[in-house]
Amino acid sequence: MIEFRDVHKTYETGNEALKGIDITIEDGEFVFIVGASGAGKSTFLKLIMREEVATSGEVVVSNFKLSKLKKRQIPYLRRAMGIVFQDFRLIDTMTVFDNVAFAMRVVGASHREIRRRVPYVLGLVGLQDKSKNFPPELSGGEQQRVGLARALVNNPSLIIADEPTGNIDPELSYEIMELLTEINRRGTTVLVVTHDHELVKSFGRRVIQIQQGQVVSDSKEVPHEV
Amino acid sequence: MRFNTFRFLVKEGVRSLRQNLFMSAASILVLVSCLLITGCAYLVYENVEHAFDWAYQQNVVVAYAKDDVTGERATAMKTELEALDNVAQVEYISKEALLERYKDEFGELLEDLEADNPLQDAFVISFEDLGLFDKTVSSVKTVEGVDKVDYDQALSQTLVKVRRVVLTVGVWVIALLLIVSLFIIANTIKLTVYSRRREISIMRSVGATPWFVRFPFMVEGIILGSAAGVVSYGLLFGIYEVIRQNFTFSSSLELIPFVAVWWQLLLGFLVGGMITGVLGSTVSIGRYLKENTD
Repeated sequence: MIEFRDVHKTYETGNEALKGIDITIEDGEFVFIVGASGAGKSTFLKLIMREEVATSGEVVVSNFKLSKLKKRQIPYLRRAMGIVFQDFRLIDTMTVFDNVAFAMRVVGASHREIRRRVPYVLGLVGLQDKSKNFPPELSGGEQQRVGLARALVNNPSLIIADEPTGNIDPELSYEIMELLTEINRRGTTVLVVTHDHELVKSFGRRVIQIQQGQVVSDSKEVPHEV
Repeated sequence: MRFNTFRFLVKEGVRSLRQNLFMSAASILVLVSCLLITGCAYLVYENVEHAFDWAYQQNVVVAYAKDDVTGERATAMKTELEALDNVAQVEYISKEALLERYKDEFGELLEDLEADNPLQDAFVISFEDLGLFDKTVSSVKTVEGVDKVDYDQALSQTLVKVRRVVLTVGVWVIALLLIVSLFIIANTIKLTVYSRRREISIMRSVGATPWFVRFPFMVEGIILGSAAGVVSYGLLFGIYEVIRQNFTFSSSLELIPFVAVWWQLLLGFLVGGMITGVLGSTVSIGRYLKENTD
C-alpha cells in the first residue's frame, strides 16, 4: 500500500514541487500517474523511493513510514519494490542474464536461486533466448523487457515504472504494458508514470493526474463516465 | 557474508580495474615511484645505521695505565671500568702485548725493546651511547691508576648529528610520500566511481547496502596497492643490488646486502600499498556516496 497524507515538497531552490498530495493506492492496484513534465510526477516517485524526503506530511510505502525511516533501512525499502526506468539502466558490459542476476546478487541470493529464478523471469518477459546477449545487441523494446525482468526478479510487491515506454516504438509499448498488466494480474501493485494519454486511455485503469504539484483528477474518486 | 556474494564482489572489483586499465596502470606507476622513493629513504636510513654501528666500533677511547700499575691492579681496573655507566666493552692490552702488535707492524725497528718497554698498559673502551661521550670520558679519568685518555671527540659528535638528521629527514619524506600516494589512489578510484555511477545508481535502486556498493572499490584499491608494492619491491631489489655490487665506498665499510632487510621491505611495501589502496578508495567512494545521498 502507498499512502500520501497532505504531502508537501519544496526543494532548497525554492521550487514547490508538491503542494498537498492526498492519495491512497491499495495493494494489487494498477495505477497510472499522468501529468505534463514539471508537474511533480518525478518528485512523487522520488518520495516513494525515498530518494527525497517530504517537507511536510507523511508518506507510507509497504508499511514503511518514510519520515521515520533511518538511512540504513533505505536499502530494505527498495527491496520491497522493483523499478523500471525510462532509459532502461542496463549495464552494457554484462549479459542479459547477469543484468537480471545483478539485482539478486545485491540482495545476497545464492547461486542456485539465481540459476533457477533468472531463466524463469526471462521467460515471463519472453527473452529466454537472449540471456547470453549483451544489451546493445537488443532492440529498445527488448532492453526494456530486460529492465522489467530485473525489476521483477526479487519478487517485489510493488513495481514502479517511470515512463517505461518513453524510449520505445509505439507498437512495442503495448507489449510492455501488457506485460505490466500480466504482472498486476498475479497480485503485484503496479504504478506507471507516463505522459502518453493514448496508452492510458486504452487500458481503462485508475488514472491520477498531477498538475502543478496537486492532484487534479483521480478516476477512482470520479466515477467512470460511460 | 555468503562466499558467493564475496566472490561476486571481488569479481566486480577486478572487472572495474580492467575497464579502467589505463588509469589503473597510471596510478600503479605513480604509486610505484612513491614506494621506490620511500624504499630508498629506508635503505639510506638502514645503511646510515649500519655505518653508525661500524663507527661505534672504531670510535673507541683508549685509557693508559700509569707505569706503576701492576698486573693485579690492572685486572681490578678492568672490572672497575666495566662497571662504569655507558661502558659497553673493555679490552685490556698489556704493554708486552702492545709491543708485540707494533712489532708485527713495524718489524725490526722495534727489536730489543723488550728489556726496556716504553709503552703503557692500555684499556680499549667502547661506549654504548655516544651522546654521553664527555660524561663517560670524565668518569673513566677518575678510575685510580688511569694516566691519560685518548679519544676523538669531534668524530663522535658529528656521527650523533648525522644520525639525527637522517632519521628526521627520512621520517618526513616517508610521511609526505604516503600522503601523496593516498591522493593518487583516491583520484583513480574517484574516476572509476565516476565511470561506474550508472551501476552504482542501479545497485542502490535495487536495494544494495552502502557497504555492498563500497566493497568492489575497496578490492580495486587493494589490488592497485599491492600490485604497486610488488613491482616497486622488485625494482628496488634490482637497482640496489646493482649499486651495491658495482660501487665500493671503502674497503672496511660496505653497503648492507638487500637480503638483510628483504622481509621488512616486502612487508612494508605490501602493507603500505594495501593500506593506501583501501584508504584511498574508502575516502573517494565515501565522498561520492555522501554527495549523492538520498
